[in-house]
Amino acid sequence: MQSKAAEAALPLLPDSVEDKELLEKFANPESRNLAFNQLIRKYQQKIYWHIRKMVIDHDDADDLTQEVFIKVWKNLENFRQDAQLYTWLYRIATNECLTFLSSKRRKFFLPINDVAAELTEKIDSSPDISGDEIQLKLQKALLRLPDKQRLVFNMKYYDELKYEEISAILGTSVGALKASYHLAVKKIEEFLKQD
Amino acid sequence: MKKDLKLNDIPKHNIYEVPDKYFDRLPTQIMERTAAAGPSPAPWFANLQRPLRLALAPLMVVLVLGVLYLVNFNKEPKQPELQLSAVADAEIVDYLSTYAVLESADFAELNSIKQQEMTAEFLNVSPKAAAEELEYYELNTLDY
Repeated sequence: MQSKAAEAALPLLPDSVEDKELLEKFANPESRNLAFNQLIRKYQQKIYWHIRKMVIDHDDADDLTQEVFIKVWKNLENFRQDAQLYTWLYRIATNECLTFLSSKRRKFFLPINDVAAELTEKIDSSPDISGDEIQLKLQKALLRLPDKQRLVFNMKYYDELKYEEISAILGTSVGALKASYHLAVKKIEEFLKQD
Repeated sequence: MKKDLKLNDIPKHNIYEVPDKYFDRLPTQIMERTAAAGPSPAPWFANLQRPLRLALAPLMVVLVLGVLYLVNFNKEPKQPELQLSAVADAEIVDYLSTYAVLESADFAELNSIKQQEMTAEFLNVSPKAAAEELEYYELNTLDY
């Protein structure tokens, strides 16, 4: 088992490979595969962790990450370059997460709380989750938030994105995002106070 | 656990783990799936310059409109009378009884059809009212 910190130490493709260059290479049929491989290596961890924090389970996150990149492969040709590539990738990943969670509810006729309970159970029982008591409690507190509020919290708190960037990804105003994040922090701290 | 614990008091830490070498294998797995899915379909206009691609959509619209215009240009409109004669009487009556508001002047038409046998039910008017309207219409057309 490998932690995020250990993964970060792996030799990765430098971020200096510009998106513009990747897109130009992708447009050329001869260098398309190479460019796409580079694109995956550049963004796979950001996308995977974004998804993993939403769906908790590694296998689900793995499936969804692959789906995201398959969609990118199929649609990169139509990508409008007036938007940032990572914004577009985050948006696809976000939509995949929300669709996955809502289909999970529909499939098993589960209300929001039951999905949260199921994910909380995974935090307690999964072998690939480790942390001290307060870290685990923080994750359980996050699961009590509505999906979109949890997304906003994760992007702001863990991914350290700017509100403007989150706004471009979610299509929500900066003011609404600030309010959502503030409310999320308040709810989390309330939960952390409980024994 | 502290009762007044704040979020900032908790160190930011990722508690989730992935299998060994997961991120080394992932690109290969995805590339295998993209190969199975076939090459990303490159549209025929992808190689055009961007301004040309942007101009393509309005050009196509103009082209389609032009073709439609030319196709319809040589078609002579059918005579209205011929078109009307193709409609069955029953359909006309059905339409009029459903949508049309009959006025007194409409009864003038009865002049031309009064020799035909048409029931009062068909005309949807009482015999007395029809007779009165006819009389009124004939009075109006008298030359003094």
